[in-house]
Amino acid sequence: MILLYDGSFEGFLTLVYEVYYQKLEPKVIYKKIPSKLCFEEIYTIETDINKAKKVFTSLQKTFSKSHLNTIYHVFLCDSQNFEYDLLSFIQLGFKKQNNLSNITHPSIFYIDTLEKEYLRLAHRMYGFVRFEELDDKIFYAKVETKFNILILLGNHFNKRLGNHPFIIHDIHRSLAYIKENNFRGIKEVAAFETPLHSDDEKHFKTLWKTFFHSVAIENRKNHKLQKQLVPLIYRTYMCEFQDD
Amino acid sequence: MKLSINDKIAILADGAKYDVSCSSSGSDASYKTGELGNTHNSGICHTFTSDGRCVSLLKVLLSNVCVYDCAYCINRVSNDIPRTAFTPRELADITINFYKRNYIEGLFLSSGIIKNEDHTMLLLLQTLRILRHEYKFNGYIHVKLIPGSSKELIAEACLLANRVSSNIELPSSKSLALLAPDKTKEKLLQPLKHAREITMERNAKPISMSTQMIIGATGESDFEILKLSSNLYQKALLKRVYYSAYIAVNNHKNLPIPEFSVPPLKREHRLYQADWLLRFYGFSYDEILRENENLDIQFDPKTFWALQNLHLFPVDVNKVSQEVLIRIPGIGIRGAIKILQARRFKKLGFEDLRNLKISLKKAKYFIIADKDYQKSIPLYEDRLKLALIKSAQDIIQPSLFDMSIYTGEI
Ligand code: SF4
Repeated sequence: MILLYDGSFEGFLTLVYEVYYQKLEPKVIYKKIPSKLCFEEIYTIETDINKAKKVFTSLQKTFSKSHLNTIYHVFLCDSQNFEYDLLSFIQLGFKKQNNLSNITHPSIFYIDTLEKEYLRLAHRMYGFVRFEELDDKIFYAKVETKFNILILLGNHFNKRLGNHPFIIHDIHRSLAYIKENNFRGIKEVAAFETPLHSDDEKHFKTLWKTFFHSVAIENRKNHKLQKQLVPLIYRTYMCEFQDD
Repeated sequence: MKLSINDKIAILADGAKYDVSCSSSGSDASYKTGELGNTHNSGICHTFTSDGRCVSLLKVLLSNVCVYDCAYCINRVSNDIPRTAFTPRELADITINFYKRNYIEGLFLSSGIIKNEDHTMLLLLQTLRILRHEYKFNGYIHVKLIPGSSKELIAEACLLANRVSSNIELPSSKSLALLAPDKTKEKLLQPLKHAREITMERNAKPISMSTQMIIGATGESDFEILKLSSNLYQKALLKRVYYSAYIAVNNHKNLPIPEFSVPPLKREHRLYQADWLLRFYGFSYDEILRENENLDIQFDPKTFWALQNLHLFPVDVNKVSQEVLIRIPGIGIRGAIKILQARRFKKLGFEDLRNLKISLKKAKYFIIADKDYQKSIPLYEDRLKLALIKSAQDIIQPSLFDMSIYTGEI
């Protein structure tokens, strides 16, 4: 049996509900109808806030805080087909919490590994995000990431930038973490005008590039290693890798 | 000629780049709301240079003017190179602006000796005062203590910085006398001892300190080097020792000739691995090497050790403790933890280990896992060496910066 849900967290929790109450045994779970023709039975989950809430409450009761975090983190790996394994992670946890540390179980191992990858990505981006100062003194950064890590980025830069207002714009997901006046949190961004930079912006970018090139040691050039450490996909918004 | 800020940063970053001790991790100063910055305790790399080093800090000299004449240093007084200096204000402004844009985690500040030691230390401190007091900067600051500067200045540096360091430069007093006549080992370690005393008086925990030594400029063996590091760690004087493959920049009768010398990158890499064994794997320096020996270039230090100690192998991964697991070639601390966690649920065979993404390429020769063990190669040193070399893609990726966050597993 193939299960279909709308890709939202509520949708996924509803799915967990239906699996329990209708005793479903899905083989695959999709966010949208698969393009390839298949002969399996397809069952579409209708997202239902009340069912989702029920599941959420019992998750909170049963799962430790760190396992709940694992569930959120894995859910935010939105470019991955994690659903089947996350469902069995939840089922195993409901059966017995101790099951969740059994990394010899393929689903537990998968979830464990995926969460680590998620956190590694966030950690990497803590370094690779680049802010530009706009003419109204707001710091603005664009990101494109494999997983949705906006909330972790927001929390991190909240601590780092103190009272400064900032925006982190997730281009592909059309979301932004915004900290301005009294608001801090994630909003949808429909359209965004390319902002004007402050007068200093160019100056500091130039200084940074100069610094970046002077610290490299000629005798030890190793572009292959550099590419491994900063893969090209991360470089789009890192000004030191752009020519003027 | 008046230099622009851009020229200055080019010159002063260039002058500081051979100093490798640039990790910003392991500090736990937490942020206070409303002030700028926090320090993250697992080290953040903001970019990587074309030689593959992590850039975490704005690492510059305040000035490359120097009255000393250390033979191995590009900034020595007898070199004819362009000289310049930042004002403390200029440097503080750059730091803040780089920090806000998330180019860096903080500042790593060092300097040539301008006029004299105290004068230099004071200029460094002025930069730190502007950052901490005026800009309320709470990010990471690492400052070099100038050997020979007064105790009060060192005390203030310890208050303002997250980490302080002083390079011991060369692994022995003899080499120092030969190449850095103005310096002695005592003089170089003095500021570290001061800093330790001062911070211990203030609170129970000493400030985090590190040092660096140059490898390959002089003739010390790796045994001597590791022994020195191990002593420094044991006295809990230092948190890190950094090794820097000597890059010949000057002509000097007691130094390798620049045109013919290649920085000993593989050796440096092996030293970092051995240092890692000292700090995290419970090895002592005389287990790793015997008197006057150098580290093997072909095998990593742990594999080399195992080959010398075959009577301890094979070990049963389902039984032995973590201390023994981490001594198996190819199994790191993360791997050992996975094994400990998984074996509570089942007896682990080779297949299970592979599923846990533990590489058996090296480890298989040294372990028993349930019913599995490798049967084709007998446990003799030369046979094993051959097998390991054949299967080895032990490609060394030399990197000046300690890559331990990525490749710490040995
Ligand atoms: S004191 Fe430092 S900057 Fe001056 S010559 Fe010696 S190593 Fe170079």
